[in-house]
Amino acid sequence: MNYKNTLKSFIKKPHNIILVSLAIILVYLTIIPLLTIVGDTFTVHQSEMMRVKGSRVGDFTLYHWVKVLFSNASRKIFYEPFLNTMVVAFGTCFISILLGGTVAWLVTRTNLRFKGIISTLFIFPYIMPSWTLAMAWLNFFKNSRVGGAPGLFTAFTGIETANWFAYGSFPIVVVLGLHYAPFAYILIGGILRNMDANLEEAALILKAGRWKIMRKITIPIVLPAMLSTFLLVFSSAMSAFAVPAFLGTSVRYQVLTTQMYRTINGLNPGYGYIIAFIMIAIGVIILGINQKIIGTRKSFTTITGKSSNISLINLRGFRSLISSLLVFMIIVVCIVPLISFAIESFIVEPGNYSISNFSTIFWVGAGSANIANSEPGILRNPSIFNGLWNSIRLSVLVAFFAGSIGILAGYAIVKKKGSRLSILVNNLAFFPYLMPSMAFGAIYLSMFATRRGFIPPLYGTFTLLVLIGVVKYLPFASRASVGAMHQLSNEIEEAGTIQGISWWKRMTRIIIPIQKSSFLSGYLLPFISSMRELSLFILLVTPSTRILTTMLFQYNEKGWSQYANAINLLIVIFVVLSNLLVTKITGASINKGIGGQ
Amino acid sequence: MPEIVLKNITKKFGKSIAVDSLNLKIQDREFVTLLGPSGCGKTTTLRMIAGLETPTEGEIYIDDVCVFSSAKGIDISPDKRNVGFLFQNYALWPHMTVYKNISFGLENMKWDKKKIDERVNDLLEMLKISEYPDRYPSELSGGQQQRVAIARTLATGPKILFMDEPLSNLDAKLRMEMRTELKRLHTETDSTFVYVTHDQLEAMTLSSKICLLKEGLLQQFEPPLDIYHNPANFFVADFVGSPNINILEVKGENVNLDEVKLIHEKFSFLFNPKSSSITIQDGQELLLGIRPEDISISSSGDVEGLIYSTLPSGMETIVKIDIDGFILTCVVFGGVDFEMGEKVKISFNSDNNVLFDKKSERNIAIGKLM
Repeated sequence: MNYKNTLKSFIKKPHNIILVSLAIILVYLTIIPLLTIVGDTFTVHQSEMMRVKGSRVGDFTLYHWVKVLFSNASRKIFYEPFLNTMVVAFGTCFISILLGGTVAWLVTRTNLRFKGIISTLFIFPYIMPSWTLAMAWLNFFKNSRVGGAPGLFTAFTGIETANWFAYGSFPIVVVLGLHYAPFAYILIGGILRNMDANLEEAALILKAGRWKIMRKITIPIVLPAMLSTFLLVFSSAMSAFAVPAFLGTSVRYQVLTTQMYRTINGLNPGYGYIIAFIMIAIGVIILGINQKIIGTRKSFTTITGKSSNISLINLRGFRSLISSLLVFMIIVVCIVPLISFAIESFIVEPGNYSISNFSTIFWVGAGSANIANSEPGILRNPSIFNGLWNSIRLSVLVAFFAGSIGILAGYAIVKKKGSRLSILVNNLAFFPYLMPSMAFGAIYLSMFATRRGFIPPLYGTFTLLVLIGVVKYLPFASRASVGAMHQLSNEIEEAGTIQGISWWKRMTRIIIPIQKSSFLSGYLLPFISSMRELSLFILLVTPSTRILTTMLFQYNEKGWSQYANAINLLIVIFVVLSNLLVTKITGASINKGIGGQ
Repeated sequence: MPEIVLKNITKKFGKSIAVDSLNLKIQDREFVTLLGPSGCGKTTTLRMIAGLETPTEGEIYIDDVCVFSSAKGIDISPDKRNVGFLFQNYALWPHMTVYKNISFGLENMKWDKKKIDERVNDLLEMLKISEYPDRYPSELSGGQQQRVAIARTLATGPKILFMDEPLSNLDAKLRMEMRTELKRLHTETDSTFVYVTHDQLEAMTLSSKICLLKEGLLQQFEPPLDIYHNPANFFVADFVGSPNINILEVKGENVNLDEVKLIHEKFSFLFNPKSSSITIQDGQELLLGIRPEDISISSSGDVEGLIYSTLPSGMETIVKIDIDGFILTCVVFGGVDFEMGEKVKISFNSDNNVLFDKKSERNIAIGKLM
């Protein structure tokens, strides 16, 4: 009887129901796939029958593991891409943290000019699709050695760019570093903004110099959070696909993700699954380290009190110089790529930048037989509009579900703070973040190709795209919501409970309105992310469910770079405008989903 | 001798004026409190003297050295002003142990290791925290953090110490204890203290002089008891003292050279100023301030009222008396308890009552009621 009563009172509380259902659903959607992947690394797939002698599809085998890790071919299959991935990930972290951290420090702690413009524009590279800068890099610096027309730089200066400069690790690191610098900026800026300036002033009064304060006070205090930033950037850079695909493949520079794409799409899915598994394992280790760091005894968040008096460091003579340099750099990174897309989308014969070569056929042309199989210009092309419509539909649905589930998750997680169930759901909701998108797509492809219990086969349906988008971007929404709920004292809801207001009303009339902007941020980031996502969906789309990003990739693979540039311009403009619009109207910001304040 | 002089110090944040041409002279070894409601500019003033904030206009001298002057373009940085600063939230460095927090300043002054060790241990001893040198701030209670912060500030032996509401984060009991210790520290360290608080009781009990500010303007700068008994204006009288001073709106009438008649809705008095002479116009609107402890309840009193409420706290009792709809507050020594609605008689027999002009709110005279 007693047991029954306990259960009854447990079920009575909405947050318990939310936690239990989320736990079940998320285990099914994240842990089961992980196990599937482990299983896949030991089974023979259709395309591998020839290689694994005398086997049938579905047989148990150690072939993949041996081949990937302990054979003569391992170096090419795994170790080299692995090493490249590490170089790319570390390099990206270095650039993005150095750049993002410096800008964050300048904006929060000094009397820099144009702070408004800088803090708005600086996050653009993160809002734009990651390959934007990669495409721009190619537009400018591609050389003729690899084939095709040279880029703008060569066309104007006549100087042929070196291979290491145009392709491979160097441009990948630079481009990814620039792409993730805003991410570091948001996180470190949040910490600096929250860090009590009195801590630095106390040292100043005790006669410590500026440099010593930086070294002994500021950096050690923000270090745990910096490390956590480092780990998040590291795992993002590690699972980046589009940038290495754009800048690496032409010189056979493989990283783990591109290798995974090749093998899963090719003849050795088993290899791909092993790579995916290893990447996820690294991600989980990173998550573990991150949580260790946050819980140390030196943690500064336990000290209460916040100073309102922040005296800004005077940059004196360098003020205008640094400010203008920064604005210039941001414009180069944000605006110039867009101009290059515009230019590239207007030239008929690639590499020829004379006026006579400019034309609007790729935008509004009806299509002619001698160019790109009579493909009409993108503004008259029904399949482009279909893709755009799909992209918008997908992003809106993903944002709606991820955001709403995120609110519920955040509510329940904070409500039951400290309990095992809450910790489990919190980690489950964050887990998809560490799954490389490509690997995630691959698993869902194999998992939902057939009927599963009451779930019909989903491959080829739009629903599958929405499902994977929701799960993949739930971390952003749940983070924003957990942050918002932490700021809200429990008494606010209790005051409503005492007056007998129903749970639904408490949520919609009290809690959600109070933290409106944070919750909206939980919708914004999934929206933007799905709008510009490629690798997550690329394995799952079919001609009827094509979205803009996958079309862009296809056009690019076919070598119709004008269409690709035009579509990219379209995506960037759409994403940036919708972000600006939502931010202006609602006060939501992507910062909150990432974990900044 | 360290002496702090502020000349026409003004601080503007954008368009709002935080401190308005403040002139102040703080003598050596004084314990000065900057007192006022929140937003009156007291913290800003303190931070400007310490060099953490830059004044918009004016000059600051410490020990006859000009440390700031807007006209001459002088702005000496905080580390060269030889001052100590105790922050409201302590600002202990979370990544350093208690020992490290205290020794940091000494290391900056290039003391040798042995001397640092001696000094830190002395301070740990003095502030009764010698058990915790290896703990991190987050592992200490609020009171202990407070002591570490004080030890860190005292370590370098500054001759001038600034404190920004250092006790506001402590509970009432601990606050009382720390007040005693701060006052002892003041004499022991033989230095000048400038202390910011919004708690008038703290200011009264601690300081040798109170500087009362309101909306960036100096109201009065005098020893606590002078402020209490001879407030410069209505605001000062109302701000200082707990329970609040009783204010009666009265109309004045000249009776003879050294007496005026004060007519209140409910009663009227003859006011006899200490300074013997007083000039008002007939019918002038005035405010009469009577401190609660200056009203006594006795059977021989001349005004009758009903008990509205009593708040006995053991040592004293705050009694509110309803006189025909007008409520007066008085304080009786000892734990007296009254029935609600009980009839009592009161009398006003002190000579510390203050008269303000209603328009200018200025103090006109202090005197006796008859």
